[in-house]
Amino acid sequence: MFLRLVADSFSRRVSRKLLTAGALALGMAVATAALSVSLDVGDRLASEFRSLGANLLITPHADTLPLEIGGVDYRPANAGADLPEASLPKLKTIFWHNNIVGFSPMLDLPVEVWSGVLKTPPAAGAAPRATLIGTWSRHALAIPDGGTFVTGVEKTNPWWNVEGHWFAEDARECVVGVALARRAALRIGDTVQIREGEKTVALTVSGLLSSGGAEDDAVVAPLATAQELAGRPGVYRRLYLSAITKPEDAFGRRDPSGMTPAEYDRWFCTPYISSIALQIEQALPGTDARVIRRVAEGEGRILTRVRALLWLVAAAALLAASLAVGATSAATIIERRTEIALMKALGAGSPMVKSLFAAEQILLAAVGGGAGYALGVLLARFLGQIVFGAAPAPSLLVLAVVLALAVFVTLAGSYFSMRRAARYEPAPILRGE
Amino acid sequence: MFWRLIHRLLQANRGRLITVLLALGAGAAITAALLNLRVDADRRLTSEFRSFGANVVIAPAPAESGSAQFEKSATFDESVLARVPAKSSGAPVAAVPFLYLVADVSNPAAALHTVVPAVVAGTRLSGLAQVGPGWRFDPPLSVSASPRCLAGSRVASQFAVRPGATLLLQYAGREERCVLDGILSAGGAEDNQIFVDLAAAQRLAAQPGRLSLVQVSVTGNPRAVESFIGSLSGALPQASVRGVRQFSDAEAKLYERIRGLLSATVGIILALTALCVMAAMTNAAMERKHDVGLMKALGGPLTRILHLFLAEAALLGLMGGMLGAAVGMLLSVWLGAAVFGVAAQPRWIVYPVTVFLTVVVAVTGAFPLRRLASVRPAVIFRGEA
Repeated sequence: MFLRLVADSFSRRVSRKLLTAGALALGMAVATAALSVSLDVGDRLASEFRSLGANLLITPHADTLPLEIGGVDYRPANAGADLPEASLPKLKTIFWHNNIVGFSPMLDLPVEVWSGVLKTPPAAGAAPRATLIGTWSRHALAIPDGGTFVTGVEKTNPWWNVEGHWFAEDARECVVGVALARRAALRIGDTVQIREGEKTVALTVSGLLSSGGAEDDAVVAPLATAQELAGRPGVYRRLYLSAITKPEDAFGRRDPSGMTPAEYDRWFCTPYISSIALQIEQALPGTDARVIRRVAEGEGRILTRVRALLWLVAAAALLAASLAVGATSAATIIERRTEIALMKALGAGSPMVKSLFAAEQILLAAVGGGAGYALGVLLARFLGQIVFGAAPAPSLLVLAVVLALAVFVTLAGSYFSMRRAARYEPAPILRGE
Repeated sequence: MFWRLIHRLLQANRGRLITVLLALGAGAAITAALLNLRVDADRRLTSEFRSFGANVVIAPAPAESGSAQFEKSATFDESVLARVPAKSSGAPVAAVPFLYLVADVSNPAAALHTVVPAVVAGTRLSGLAQVGPGWRFDPPLSVSASPRCLAGSRVASQFAVRPGATLLLQYAGREERCVLDGILSAGGAEDNQIFVDLAAAQRLAAQPGRLSLVQVSVTGNPRAVESFIGSLSGALPQASVRGVRQFSDAEAKLYERIRGLLSATVGIILALTALCVMAAMTNAAMERKHDVGLMKALGGPLTRILHLFLAEAALLGLMGGMLGAAVGMLLSVWLGAAVFGVAAQPRWIVYPVTVFLTVVVAVTGAFPLRRLASVRPAVIFRGEA
């Protein structure tokens, strides 16, 4: 009987219902769009943030203290510890291997550089000095599960601009920094002679590097070439790694050694930068994985703020929707007071009247909320496409949340008017007062 | 007569009046808050990007082409600091000087007296937080702190020292003592350095009044930073001024993305809030059909009647808009402070724009009444309209 009453009441005055449902749907659409985008924006911005470059630096644990000023290490060539290049594939076996966007090992040594045009090589110590940075430009690494992972400096240092092209891994090529090229009068296509101690190598300049940093005064060559010159095959000194991470919250900042096993599992299974660093240290023994704080913390802060902004927007939409619905339902209730008075005169108690109206509102909320969700998914797609070039996937979680919110908003908006309606005295209203 | 009628209309049903005003006011508040945040976003976004720290570096001009020496000890005069503008884009510019030298460091309290070469950086220690805002200090640097000496995490573990210990720094026969006030962990070259006061480093290196580097943190959108670099280069011919490309490139991209997201979202919210409120207004207006029918039956000219109701709607829009916009702007200032930590500045242009939009929405909401113009009063009173 109750359901019949509700269904009958619901199908009357369709135009009014449509207006209310419309207002609700619009509010819910905005809330859906904002929620979908805010759930997704973390991932999108996280990959955008990778254009900042590496956020982890891995060095040998047993290393002596580097003497770095302005990006150049002044230690003697044979000082310090090395790490084996052969263990690098293990990086793609850690729990968070899918979050690793790229890594590049580096081996630096101080060398003497002069243009291949010179007929006689300068005397030892007389040629211009520079740093040779041996690294990967686009290296296909064979990983344990059988695939290959292409990685290199292009992923970890995306702000390094090369005029010309990067060196090929197996060729005798190199990339020269613009400041060094000016100093030593080198152009693309020239041969450059590089000497370290007794050994000399001739490389072709395939490109000019402009990085805005100390590398503008350096030569960047394949890691194998640097290893050959240094007489230390198969090693590297530093590894830069770029990973997609979740910004550290209070839980993430805790010291893992003080956590219970359950908390430790949760921490380990969240891509905090600190847990990825720990996993790397476990996979590569003898290393120190340090978080490049400027990059990691800055990212975290910006991401948190953007997310907060989107939550704000969703909340604002919900507020607008609830107020509009409230205004509409208040108007509706006043209009229907004759109907309510009749029901009460026929014996319906206040709770009955309230529940009848509540049921009608809930049905309205379901319809309005559902329509709003559909519209919101389209909106989110549109927003995502414009801003990030990729649409967020519709999520059932958002649908459930939106429907619940729609019901809440409708009931909250019409709460006062329903209370008033239940208190109507039948006789005065039916008399026309 | 017109105004008396309006006065009466407004006084007639207090409950309904308040509800409608509330809906309009809420819509206006939200519009004002979001518009204010959007207009203020430029300023906020650029200050967010200072999360990354120093974005401009001033160094001595590089060695001449063909020169054989690689100058690690190139320095320039401290007067360079005075040439850096104090403000850019309305925010203060932080310029922190550095002087580097490689000193012999030892721990006088250790049983085994090992001497290890390490980089000593003389700087204004209170400015370090602006160069690298993400760096972790242990113990955390308080705003008014003036630490005497800080060590990078790798230096501290090399010598196995904690805050409170003393390190001995020796260079060319001179020595300085470093009383550790904290340990810094940056994830970069700074972990391998010892930070002392600039004057102490200048004494140790016997280079009074000289600097190796100045790191500058400039607020502003990418174009403003470019022009800052350009004008500073012109003012300092003996130095090279460059932007830290790692961050400035990414910042420019991120900035555009986030601004785009903000604009699109705010635009959509505004459109939908307007439609929402309009629906509410239409609902409220449809109630008035008995009044319209009555006025027609009494012989009132149609245009007069419609003007009456549109004027009522406009007045309601004006009142709701003025109140709501004021609340909205206060809300945006508070929200800015609560969520972003930086209070938003009220942009006065937002107020009249919001009031105007609210009036438009209110009037548009009353438009369906025009439909009734063609219906006969009797039909309305019978309840069939």
